[in-house]
Parts: sequence; C-alpha cells; structure tokens
Amino acid sequence: MNLDRVRAGFERLLEAIVVILVSALTLLVIAGFCFRYSGYALSWYDEVASVGLVWLTYYGSALAALRGAHIGVPGFVNAMPPKARVVATLFAEAVFFIFFVMLAWTGAEVLVVLGNDNLVSLEWMPQRVTASVIPIGAVLIIIAEALRLPKLMRDARGKGFIDTEAIEAMSHGAPDLGAGTEAKR
Amino acid sequence: MTITLMLFGMIGLAVLNVPIAVALGFVAMVAVVFIQGPHMLPNLALEMYDGASSFPLLAIPLFILSGAIMNASSISRRLIAFATSVVGWVRGGLSMVAIGTSVFFAEISGSAVADVAALGTILIPAMKSRGYTKEVAAATMSSAASLAIIIPPSIPMVLYAVMAQTSVVKLFVAGIVPGLIGALAMAGAAYYHAVKYNFPREQAFRLSEVWRTFKEALWAFILPIAILGSIFGGIVTATEGAGMAVLAAIVVGGFIYRDLDFRELKRACIDGGIQTAVVMLLVASSALIGTFLTEAQLPQALGHAITQVTDNKYVVLLLLNIAFLILGMFLHSAAAIILVIPIVMPMVTAVGIDPIHFGLVVTLNLAIGQQTPPVASVLMTACAIAKADIWETTKDNIPYLVALLFVLFLCTYVAWVPMLLVNLFYGG
Repeated sequence: MNLDRVRAGFERLLEAIVVILVSALTLLVIAGFCFRYSGYALSWYDEVASVGLVWLTYYGSALAALRGAHIGVPGFVNAMPPKARVVATLFAEAVFFIFFVMLAWTGAEVLVVLGNDNLVSLEWMPQRVTASVIPIGAVLIIIAEALRLPKLMRDARGKGFIDTEAIEAMSHGAPDLGAGTEAKR
Repeated sequence: MTITLMLFGMIGLAVLNVPIAVALGFVAMVAVVFIQGPHMLPNLALEMYDGASSFPLLAIPLFILSGAIMNASSISRRLIAFATSVVGWVRGGLSMVAIGTSVFFAEISGSAVADVAALGTILIPAMKSRGYTKEVAAATMSSAASLAIIIPPSIPMVLYAVMAQTSVVKLFVAGIVPGLIGALAMAGAAYYHAVKYNFPREQAFRLSEVWRTFKEALWAFILPIAILGSIFGGIVTATEGAGMAVLAAIVVGGFIYRDLDFRELKRACIDGGIQTAVVMLLVASSALIGTFLTEAQLPQALGHAITQVTDNKYVVLLLLNIAFLILGMFLHSAAAIILVIPIVMPMVTAVGIDPIHFGLVVTLNLAIGQQTPPVASVLMTACAIAKADIWETTKDNIPYLVALLFVLFLCTYVAWVPMLLVNLFYGG
C-alpha cells in the first residue's frame, strides 16, 4: 500500500515536470517566431529550445519507465514459459539498471569536467545546470523502474507483458488491451 | 568482427525485452570499455546529451499536442458531420465518412493512433449500430486512420527527415497526392465491402446541409491550411508551424468553440511528453551506436555490397520495401526509422534515389506496418474500441491493405506521383 502511494506521488511529480516542460517549450517556440518576425530575433532561442528537448527526453523517459512505455519487443519473452520469462526479465532488468547507473555516474563526471563553462548564446547559464539532466534524469529513471519492478515481475510470472504500442494505444483512449496483446490470437 | 558482435548483442538484448534504446546504449557502453578503455566512458553521457539535442525534432511533441487539443474540442464531431453530408449518400456511407473525415483530420493530426482513437470512438459504434460487423468497422477505421501519417503533418516524416538529413517541408508536400490517392483507393475497398455485406446509405445529398456543416467545421479547414501553407511557403519552420498549431488549437477550442477540456489539455501534454521522450531516448542511444557504425563504415559497406549485386534503383527500392514491410510487422514505426534509415541512406543515395521520394516510400511502408499484426498499434486501437479480434479484423482489412499496397507500389515506381507537388512548388 505504501509503495503504491510512493509510486502515485512520484508519478504526479514527473507528470508536473513534463507538463511544465511541454508548455514552456511551446511558449518558447511561439515567442521565438513572434520575436523574429517583429525584427527582434532571440539569439538564444534555438539553443535553449534544444536544451529543453533534452530535458523533456530524460524527465519524460522517467515517466515512460514508470509506465513501461519504452519501445521494446516483448513477443519472444511472452512466448516463453513463465519460469524462463522470469529469468529473462531479471536479466533484462539487470541490463537496464547497469546502463542507467553508469549513465548517472558518467553524467556526474561530465558535470565536473564542464567546470565553469556556460552556454554559447546565454552566457550567464552554466552548462553544468543544463547537463545536470543526465545524472538527475538517470537517477529518476532508476527510481521509476525500481517502483515498476513488482508489477513487472508479476506480469513475468503471469501472462507476460503488454506491447509498447498497446500502451500507446491505451494512452489515446483505447480500452485496456491486456497483457500479451501483441501476440493475442 | 566488433560490429558483428555488437549487432548480435543488440538483437539478443532486444529479444529479451530490454527496451531498444537501452539495448543500444548498453552495447555501446560495453564496446567503449573494451575498445577505447573505461576512461572514455564519460563521452557516453556527453553523446547521450548531444543526441537528444535537436531543434527540428521539437516538432514532434508540438504536433502531438496540437492534434490532441483539437481532438479535445468538438472538431471530430464537426468534421464527421461535414463528411456525412458530402459522402453519406453513397452505399456504405459510414465507411466513406470514416475515410473522408480521416482526410481532413490528417491535416490536424500527425499520428494515426491519435486519429483512430479520436474518430473511432464515435464512428465505430455508429457503424456497428448501422449493421456493420465489428471487424469491418474496426478495419475501415484503422486503415482510414493511416492517412494521418501520409497527409501532412506527420510525425514519422519529421523523424525520417532528421535521420536522413533532408527537408521535412518537401516531405510533407510529397505526402499530399499519395494521401488523396490512398483515400480514393480505400473508398473503392469500402465500396467493395458495402456491396458484399449490403451496407446502408446514410442521408440523401443536400447542398444546404453541406453548406451548414461546412460552416460549423470552418475553423477545422482554415487553420490547418493556414499553418501548412506557412510551412510550405517558408514563412515558418516545421517546428514553428507546430508551435503555431498548438496556439491556434487553444484559441479555437478555448475561445471560438468554447469546449476545450483543460483536463484533456493536461493529458495531451503528458502523452506528448512521454511519446517524445521515448522516441528521443532512442534517437540519443542510436547516436552512440552510430559512432561505431560510421567508424566501421557499415552503411557504406552495405551500400557497396548491394550495388555489387544490382545498381538498379527499382530493384533496390523493391528490396527496401520488402524489408520495411517485414520490419513494420514486428517493430514500432519510430524504432524502424531510427534504426534503419542511417544505415540504408548511403545506399539509397548511391543508386540515385531521391531522399524525399524514399521518405514517402518509407512512410507508406510504416503506415501499412501499423496495420499488420502482431505489432500493429493502429489496428489494435481500432480493435479495442470495436471489441473485435485482431486476426479476424485483419481478414476484413485485406481489401484496404491491397489499396494501401497499390498506393505504395504506385509511389515507389512512378516517382512523379509523390514528387509532383514538390517539383511544382520547389522546382525539379
């Protein structure tokens, strides 16, 4: 029960970050266009928008991890007997965690290397702030995946995993498509 | 040897259901440790940062958002009313309405899944109540929705243009004629179903009704044309056009039709954010692998190997069509573009295929891929709404698939069909 509440709270936090980032990027693109056409082009517009997209990538990826929405190919694992599926899932999760732990660590190393460098077009903005998204994002992704782990293992022991495309379909209002949808016959 | 091991590693991890982005990143990480040494690992983080930093790809969340906002207002209902007044008198009228509405909705939405969810929730129950089988209703809506990624704006086209380093604007323009031909071909398939199952006509054709419904849906026609016109005319970039589309959608939904649901708006932001993040993480990690592929000159080697067998571009196009149709059955369309395009582009240009023409061919392949199970997002959504079995629906989807395959082969081998408007607007 407690874990469910932590998960729900974490999801709301990530959702809020994603909504803020998408809204800010939309406003930035519109403002960039308006300023350019009024003769006062914003020199920092392209660079800041690109940084914003990187932030959306990693904060959004944490939310995607929590919902199991990253693009994968579950068909083969779903076709396995449950015991083999559990072993395969444990292995896949180990790969997942190793990669993002390494990314968090190397991302933190990069922040040290960047030192006092600033953005090219926005000279007062330290690159350490913009690049902080890699270690912070990687840690958030690790937490998200850890919170999803109990459900993931339940699915592994049960009917298998829902395909990414089915999750995408459900996010667009389709009814629950159920586990193992991509292989349903 | 290293590249072979890496490819096997990536495929092996993906088969074990490691997310594809993580499989690519993990293999690249292992390769860095063993080839360049652990001290080079921080480059991994830098490349994962740079790989996700792309201004043109910002168009993806914005187009998702604008489509979702338009859908959250009463646009779908107004477009359906207009299409019913225009084509409802034909036998199998509701199928024609599904196709006709999809043509207009495609100018707002760049995602076929969004399209089928928006229109299918209204039209599939309507078709069932008029005696259509649930399988035909799902198949019709599913295939009609594929127009969303063929007619601009189109999210797969944005992704292709960035991966192939070509013009997204020209690719958008190239999609117009094939999209309209596709709609006509699918109307033919719908008529075949209508005669076979004796589906009813809807209302009689009345010009006054056409005019009334046209006025009610006016903004749904004006805004996309104005925004796409600005993009085609070079007044705004595709990304800026997408930003303007969001603004326009909020103005129309919130101030003109006054039926915008702000909870829907928030949900659209979250969905758009997640879908973008998923695609961008894959783009970033594919950049890691791309470095190794470039060093090993794999794309060039593949191009060389194929051109040794044949340098006939039509044979190469046939092989690529077959490859993409098979990939489309098993892989998410974004993953297919991100993984395959950088590898095949040197070969495509070496045999003299126009990157814009090829982009349209790829888009059509992926539109078909979204209809072909086991992995078929659009078909699955339609089947979920209709409560129909995916494989039974596929049987009734065959006439529509034939129509889409006809458009694919027409556009593959008669290049001037997709390139007609491109050459007209931007010169040969």
